Amino acid sequence: MTPLWQIFRLIWRDRRASMSRAVLLTIWVMVAGIALLSLSGWFIVAAGMAGLAGTGAVFDVFRPSAGIRFLAMARTAGRYGERLLSHDATLKVLTSLRVRLLVGMSRENHAMLLRLRSGKALNRLTADIDALDGVAIRVVFPVLGAAFAALATFAGLWFLVGPLVSVWAVGSHVFGGALVLFWGGWAGAHLSERAEDLSQDLRAGVIDHLRGRLTLISAGRLRDNMAVLGRIDAAARAAMMKQAGIEWRVAAGLQLVALSSLVGTILISGRLLSDGHIGAAQAALAIFAALALAELGGAIQRGVFELGRMRAAARRVAPGLSGAPLDPQIVGNEDGLAMPGSELTGLALTGLDLCPAPGTGTIVENFNLVVSAGETVALIGASGSGKTSLLNAIAGLIPVSRGQISTGGRLGYLPQRPALMAGTIRDALHLAAPDSDDRDKALIMAVCAFPVDLDYRLGESGSGLSGGEQRRLALARVLIQRPAILLLDEPTEGLDHATAESVLHGVRAWLPDAAILIAAHRPAERQAADRVISL
Amino acid sequence: MTSPALRYLTRICAPQRRRLKLGSGLAVLAEALWLPQAAVLAMVLGGMASGQDPDLWMSAGAIAILGVARSGLIFLASRQFEQGADAVLAATRAQILARAQQYAPGPEVPSSAQTAVLMVEKTSLIRAHLLRWPAARARVAVIPVLILAVIFPVSWPVALILMISGPLIPVFMALIGMAAKDASARQMEEISGLNSLLVDRLGALIDIRLLRADKQMKNDFQIRADRLRQQTMQVLRVAFLSSAVLELFAALGVAMTAVYVGFTLLGELRFGSWGRVLTASEGIWLLLLAPVFFQPLRDMAAAWHDRVAAQAAADELLMDEERSLTRIPGQGADADRMAGAISVRGLRLRGISYPDLDIAPGEMLAITGPSGSGKTTFLMALAGILPSDGALKVGDVIVDDKTADGWRQSVALITQHVHFLDLPLRENLTLAPSIDDDRLAQALTLADADEIVNQLPQGLDTVLGERGGGVSGGEARRLIVARTAYWNRPYVMADEPTADLDDMTAQRVIRGLLDLNAQGAGLIVATHDPRLIRVIERRIDLAA
Repeated sequence: MTPLWQIFRLIWRDRRASMSRAVLLTIWVMVAGIALLSLSGWFIVAAGMAGLAGTGAVFDVFRPSAGIRFLAMARTAGRYGERLLSHDATLKVLTSLRVRLLVGMSRENHAMLLRLRSGKALNRLTADIDALDGVAIRVVFPVLGAAFAALATFAGLWFLVGPLVSVWAVGSHVFGGALVLFWGGWAGAHLSERAEDLSQDLRAGVIDHLRGRLTLISAGRLRDNMAVLGRIDAAARAAMMKQAGIEWRVAAGLQLVALSSLVGTILISGRLLSDGHIGAAQAALAIFAALALAELGGAIQRGVFELGRMRAAARRVAPGLSGAPLDPQIVGNEDGLAMPGSELTGLALTGLDLCPAPGTGTIVENFNLVVSAGETVALIGASGSGKTSLLNAIAGLIPVSRGQISTGGRLGYLPQRPALMAGTIRDALHLAAPDSDDRDKALIMAVCAFPVDLDYRLGESGSGLSGGEQRRLALARVLIQRPAILLLDEPTEGLDHATAESVLHGVRAWLPDAAILIAAHRPAERQAADRVISL
Repeated sequence: MTSPALRYLTRICAPQRRRLKLGSGLAVLAEALWLPQAAVLAMVLGGMASGQDPDLWMSAGAIAILGVARSGLIFLASRQFEQGADAVLAATRAQILARAQQYAPGPEVPSSAQTAVLMVEKTSLIRAHLLRWPAARARVAVIPVLILAVIFPVSWPVALILMISGPLIPVFMALIGMAAKDASARQMEEISGLNSLLVDRLGALIDIRLLRADKQMKNDFQIRADRLRQQTMQVLRVAFLSSAVLELFAALGVAMTAVYVGFTLLGELRFGSWGRVLTASEGIWLLLLAPVFFQPLRDMAAAWHDRVAAQAAADELLMDEERSLTRIPGQGADADRMAGAISVRGLRLRGISYPDLDIAPGEMLAITGPSGSGKTTFLMALAGILPSDGALKVGDVIVDDKTADGWRQSVALITQHVHFLDLPLRENLTLAPSIDDDRLAQALTLADADEIVNQLPQGLDTVLGERGGGVSGGEARRLIVARTAYWNRPYVMADEPTADLDDMTAQRVIRGLLDLNAQGAGLIVATHDPRLIRVIERRIDLAA
């Protein structure tokens, strides 16, 4: 099953009622369009003949003209309903796909998340999902609708006019149209895929460029990197231009198919008329039907051009969707990240072996440690001695090779490089503790020696705060959850000695019974500990 | 009368005006050819109805030739529009990027995702607008009038029917357009908001998991995504409603024409043809022209939504253009280095005055002070990242917009927050057009960073996460120190360079920085780390 088909099935299954109604309406709209024009043509010609023959008085004008009015209104109403239904249903499904994809991403393993680049991940969640909105609306529905409408026209012309006219008028459209559209799809698919890929590269590149602009500026490479982005943009636009060239050719091709169908129908029905096989009104009906059939190809056209882009997007998105239910209700492990021990309070590590990544050597071997409630332990050791890996393992971010980790109670972890987000201080704390009020929030900021206005607004990735301020805000985020076990990785980095001491003192005062494990590198952190363990 | 957004659109399209005009002309001509084509078709059908034997081959040939000519003209018109739109797109995108990359860091700077969306997606809305709107507008100006002009001498009642039902359409469109504009603007805003929200959340997925806030994040996102859906649906609903109204008017106009023509042909109605009898050919011709009378109006209505979307995008572009934020001086380009002593006189930034200062080449200086006293801001001004308004001089040269590039080439800046570009480590460590591998190896040794690279599975070819994911914080810092060594510039300026390093590594890095100083580089650090302050000869203390 191709990914694109998989996505279509997801959309269909999730919104079967709306989608099936929409597809019926699509067919109706197309059939009604052709019927409307054919009936009008027939009516005028028949009326003209009746007028010439002097039989106007007995000619039934009301039924055909009522039919014309009905078809016109019903087609308009049908189109409105179809668009509303199909778009609403598609957007609903896409929204839930987006959420599902984000949940899937947040469950990736630690190593993957470390390497995740926001620009590219953003592309998955926005551009790729957006690209999929036409799967049902612009590809599957129009093709189905056109097929049914062509079949209905074929049958109608066969019975009302004759087999030869029917075969030519419908056949030339179907085969000519299919030929042109297949060519367009074949020639255009890789171009639309390429244009989309390049646009996404451009987006991710711009995000990287802007996030890293200080680095680029001090390297004197900002202009050069901008030129690189300019080249990606030029390539993306060139692909779009090439694709546009194919679109014009397809449009012209479809017009020529319609033209030859019309011309052929005129010649055939004219011959049948002069041979006396059909009447003039029937000939008019056939000619107008041939004229109306041109709409079918036009309806499919746009979807064909988007096919390449959709296929590529589906390929990238589909793997992230497998497994999880469409509307996941529960995310994350409510009990915390590590296994709760039975009657244990505090933290116990027994016979622990750790290797930070598969294939690399073991950096911590047969490690044993108990941190009781109310105790503070500092871990020291050179860079790379495994302090951070140990904390990561306790927090459940990386697996342990051997041994056991037991924790009693809720765990809080301040990682080495916490990431902050744009928004106010209040937003940041609210994310950690949705139930806390402003008083709690102000209090925790004071504990962290960072008494700041809760309305203070941070920029992207927490810009607008100094390194030390960011660190204290990140610490406040952890503390406000009142963990029973607190893991701190270099908590006072970026703080002067006095502030560092006051922060560490505040942490202990805030959580008198917590088991605290610090990966320490500064004197203040060691001094705050009851015990110091060297790795 | 014209809104700022429309004036903005006119301004950015001005260089392509001739192209767009030519395209419009071709599109009008193509549509006008339908008049003779319809006339031939009507003569054939009329001939059939009246029992004459029309010359099928001649007529079919004429229809075919006119049809091919129309297709050709449309093809040529499309090309003009596409090329014009492409040029506008290219210029607009380049402008947006040039502006955004120059913003000095700060909380009011638009998020990178917001800028990326503006640049890639929202400018595409302007492209879509240019592909459809000028042609539609030109056709509306010409085709309906042309059709009325040729119909009137044949049948004035049909002309009257069209004349009455046609102009109602623009009135409706204007009413609906106003509603559409608000809906579009709201949708645009929601798209930016959602993108900014996501780009930050995606960068913080680990933290979110550690805080057990995934559910909260999911709920937030679901609410935002749902709001975007509703706003998109609102825009679409207006679009669908307006096109339904249009279709209805068009259908009514055509149906009334058909009924009038039908009754006239039957002989029931005997007025309207200036005393002549309406022939079947003429009747059919009128019927064939009626839908074409409405077609440009319908196309304009369809393009109207592109126009509204483009206007909303133009509003944002205009806002982006008018945003007054602190700019990083200079171009960020490669330039000749500047040498000499640094002198600061009367520097005032963001409401804080900084002390006057002279720094000789090769000197060492530590900027200290409590958290929040402006150490980073001061260092950024010295490094030529923040504009110093003439307060900063190097030798005899004032560091300003013209000289900042050269000055920054003389300073190796180590920022507090590490950002690794989406490039292999080798390029991140050099950021230079050509790479000298031997010098890079030496630089890595100096920064005590060889073994970091050796531990990486792909060594110098590794692509790290944007915040240095793949190595520890201390390791990331040491890698940046290695880059500084590689750059070998007259000054090294570092913001808390030893912040995440343990004693042993910090000592090695400090030694590395001192080595650079010994080789002649001036060393300026903003720090509160006593280990570093201790070894720096000169110290300047910023009050809180």
